[in-house]
Amino acid sequence: MRKKIVAFLWGTQQRKIWTSVIVGLLAASILIRFIAPVPPPHVALSGEPIFSTGPKWFTNSVLTTIIVDIVLILLALAVRFNLKEIPGAFQNFMEAIIEALYGLAESVAGKNASKFFPWVATIFLFVIISNWSGMLPGVGSIGFYHPTDKHDAHATALDGDSARLFDNQLAMVGGSIVLAPLESAQKAPAAAEGEHGKFIPLFRAPSADLNVTFALAISTMVMVQIWGVRFLGGSYFRKFFNFSGPNPFMKGINGFVGILELVSEFSRVIAFGFRLFGNVFAGEIVLATMAFLIAFLLPVPFYVLELFVGFVQALVFMMLALVFFHMATISHGSHDEHH
Amino acid sequence: MDALGIEWSLLLAQIVNFLLLIVLLRLFLYRPVLNMLNARKERIAQSMKDAERVSAAAREAEQEKAKILEQARREAQEIRAQATRDAERIAQEIRSRAEQEATEIRMKAQAEAARQIETALAEANKQIADLAIMATEKLLGRELANRAEQQRFVAEFLANAGGKGK
Repeated sequence: MRKKIVAFLWGTQQRKIWTSVIVGLLAASILIRFIAPVPPPHVALSGEPIFSTGPKWFTNSVLTTIIVDIVLILLALAVRFNLKEIPGAFQNFMEAIIEALYGLAESVAGKNASKFFPWVATIFLFVIISNWSGMLPGVGSIGFYHPTDKHDAHATALDGDSARLFDNQLAMVGGSIVLAPLESAQKAPAAAEGEHGKFIPLFRAPSADLNVTFALAISTMVMVQIWGVRFLGGSYFRKFFNFSGPNPFMKGINGFVGILELVSEFSRVIAFGFRLFGNVFAGEIVLATMAFLIAFLLPVPFYVLELFVGFVQALVFMMLALVFFHMATISHGSHDEHH
Repeated sequence: MDALGIEWSLLLAQIVNFLLLIVLLRLFLYRPVLNMLNARKERIAQSMKDAERVSAAAREAEQEKAKILEQARREAQEIRAQATRDAERIAQEIRSRAEQEATEIRMKAQAEAARQIETALAEANKQIADLAIMATEKLLGRELANRAEQQRFVAEFLANAGGKGK
């Protein structure tokens, strides 16, 4: 048994190298806790303006949204202008994705799939890339130090201009020893941030910003109403204002159901928005926390988990949008009979 | 709202961004790719149908070929049988004619031989008669008066003798 373990860890040259690397990383990750503590994860509920003096709207999630857009459009253009009857590897890959999404849309919406497809496919692609963008190295860890209000007073008391200059320098949280004095970082890592102003990451996963998730949610639910009107005409709204029934009691029940439908429409927006935001935001905090606890190896399984969560959330958003679109196209009468 | 970081301007910007993305991706990604997929699907279906047709045609041609071969074989057999029959008939004819001719030749030869024998015999008889007469005349020392009569007599005798001799 011991022999087997030794052979497994130290058998060949390659095994020796791997074992030493892993042991070294583990040792380093424990050592680094004492020598160069990783500051506690930066947690901000919302996107923050990148430049303290710049426009307030230019937040880190807006920047990342633009990058995600560019990536998607470049992918699309790369496919569009190399489209061949006999596909290469890249075209095959993109075609497989599009075809899988279309198959999904068709399985839910049937013959209306071609109408809903651009919406739901865009939701899926945008959301999945947004979710995964948060896991890229540097997203959330590269950023600026902004002077906080409290710090501002402190800095101006000392040396206003030079402090501001210093605060705005590019900094890496992982290697924050460069900027934060060792003692203060060791004593209270959280204080290091306060010392140099507020840390503002340069990038932030778009889906970890409520503006983005609610933008998607609101567009989707508005589109649901538009599809409903387009397919059913004015009778679509009977779902909400339904006072029909054989007797006053049923009329009252139906009226109440209509109110519930109306409320559920709004609750869907909120559910959509917070579901995606919560998953991605929480995932990022989990990753940052794990990296803070033990820098190496420990975060790896959580990265795998977050990859999966990112995919599932994109799929869930897409499928729910698809189902809501589809439900809006079914007339309420037949819908009732269906149940 | 503020605590959550929701700002109407940003929200609106993100909605516009999303709509723009839909339009662009639809233009550059979904439509061309789906068109291409459809075109390829149709083409594959067409190719399959063509292949089906070609293989059906090949099968038909194969059957046709087999049929033609079978017919050719039968015809060849017939021709061979006919040829054999003809050859036999011709051979038979030739043989019978040859036999006939041989028979004729033999008969002619026999007749000739018989005739020659007869001629020879007649000649011999005549000579013998002459010789007999001559001998008789020599013996008598004078010429026989009725020479013709004598000759006939000897000949008759010889003929009779010959006839008995046979």
